Amino acid sequence: MTKNTDKPAAPQRPLPTIDNSNRPFWDGARAGELRMQKCCGCGHIRYPISDLCPQCLSGEFEWQRLSGRGKVFSTIVFHQVYHAAFAGEVPYNVSLIQLDEGPRMFSNVVGVPPSEVKVGDAVEPVFDPVTEDVTLPRFRIARAG
Amino acid sequence: MSSIRGKVAIVGLGVTEQGKLPGSTPISLGAEAFKRAIADAGLRKDQIDGLLTMPGTTSPEGPLNYLRLGEALGIDPRYTGSMVMGGGTAGALIQNAVLAIEAGLADCVACVFGDTARTGGSRFSRASGWGDSWGLWGMFGAAANSAVAASRHMALYGTTSRQLAEVAVACRYHASLNPNAVMREPITIEDHQASRWIVEPFRLLDCCLISDGGVCIILTSAERARDLRQPPAIIGGIGQAYTTRNMEREDWWYVPHQKEALSRAFAMAGVGPSDVDVAQLYDNFTMSVLLWLEHAGFCGVGESGSFVEGGRIRLGGDLPVNTAGGNLSESYMEGWLHIVEGARQMRGECGPRQVEGAETCLVTGRGMTLNCSNAMILHRA
Ligand SMILES: [Zn+2]
Repeated sequence: MTKNTDKPAAPQRPLPTIDNSNRPFWDGARAGELRMQKCCGCGHIRYPISDLCPQCLSGEFEWQRLSGRGKVFSTIVFHQVYHAAFAGEVPYNVSLIQLDEGPRMFSNVVGVPPSEVKVGDAVEPVFDPVTEDVTLPRFRIARAG
Repeated sequence: MSSIRGKVAIVGLGVTEQGKLPGSTPISLGAEAFKRAIADAGLRKDQIDGLLTMPGTTSPEGPLNYLRLGEALGIDPRYTGSMVMGGGTAGALIQNAVLAIEAGLADCVACVFGDTARTGGSRFSRASGWGDSWGLWGMFGAAANSAVAASRHMALYGTTSRQLAEVAVACRYHASLNPNAVMREPITIEDHQASRWIVEPFRLLDCCLISDGGVCIILTSAERARDLRQPPAIIGGIGQAYTTRNMEREDWWYVPHQKEALSRAFAMAGVGPSDVDVAQLYDNFTMSVLLWLEHAGFCGVGESGSFVEGGRIRLGGDLPVNTAGGNLSESYMEGWLHIVEGARQMRGECGPRQVEGAETCLVTGRGMTLNCSNAMILHRA
């Protein structure tokens, strides 16, 4: 065993493994768009990303740009650090977002104190670059009107 | 289906010391529980011909646990296997044992779990979700999914943190009457309210323990059970239900499949919620108990918060729940001890925490975030 005298590197936050099946989602996020798969068989917009439509099992789909608007379906605030990369971020918000076009996704509501996010709040997307390659879709409280 | 009703019984219970047990391994704890269970039942090792196991969170062999434990016990079973459904495993394995016994594949089945989650440092912090998982957005750990359920339940129905506290307080009171429980110091609603946030709306005292320990439960036919050492706990009905979907299912947070598991168990047993004298409801977090109460029909949708107020689920209340302390205060054996306590209540051996005259017990299990659920009705013989 060699002794490692370097300081341990700052813990890396989890990043997506980008491959052909999810690249349009992550490319979209970098371009400031929320994209999801719309089934050509039945029209269902699905999430999570998958090869087949879980409604009709069709493998035919197209990537569709969504408005990204939605409502907070449920919301929680992390105080416990479960992953070292988030040690500096607690307390932080995680919300389940009900998108206007149908799908639901977990994300973060940012821009307000994490405990002030309420179920039912209208939200809109923000696109937050966390590395050169990865931009995370997040949400903020929608501006009035 | 109804042919299973009353045909199989729990006849042997083995529980090790619980808590922090340095030097133990999942196999050593499972083996010790097995020894205690066969002694309890009055069975010899060579009479056990079925072995169903759940690997501990620290078991290096994972789903090959049945082989390692079988080797440790020197058993060549007719029927065996391991299953990995987290807190849904215990109930699912018991139900497998029922089916195997009823079908004649085995006569006496030992279901075994041993874990060193506490000394082994298991944190139940894995991110759930698809592909790279929701950890991308910082969504980690077992508490988060139940916190999502609690947050929405609070928003829709006005459920409060103080009502969640009622569950924690009742479980701790029951644990104070259980010499084998890990956390025996009684707590108040104010203690709960003063405990630190984990994942809002959950505080520390909304969360289950992390424990070392071993549990073994032995089943055989109700007919054979009559000749054994202990009063059997008769299995009246069983049911399971699952969802593999989360984001794709709008009501996922409410764990609606639990209702299906419960109604199957009730229907098979030919009983309903009003027949239940005592319940052991899977409590990884306080909120889970509230959802079980609604799904079982003890109260209406959205009414569980007010249902638990005023000590209704404490001993002496209308519906004593988790009379040994549950995952919250007895020990986190992922629901295995709920089945043990259900059987003990049906034996009538619980001493100061015995529900007097109890003849029917509901036991539930749930695992893998919100996805796996099961229910079982036990009767006094
Ligand atoms: Zn489709």
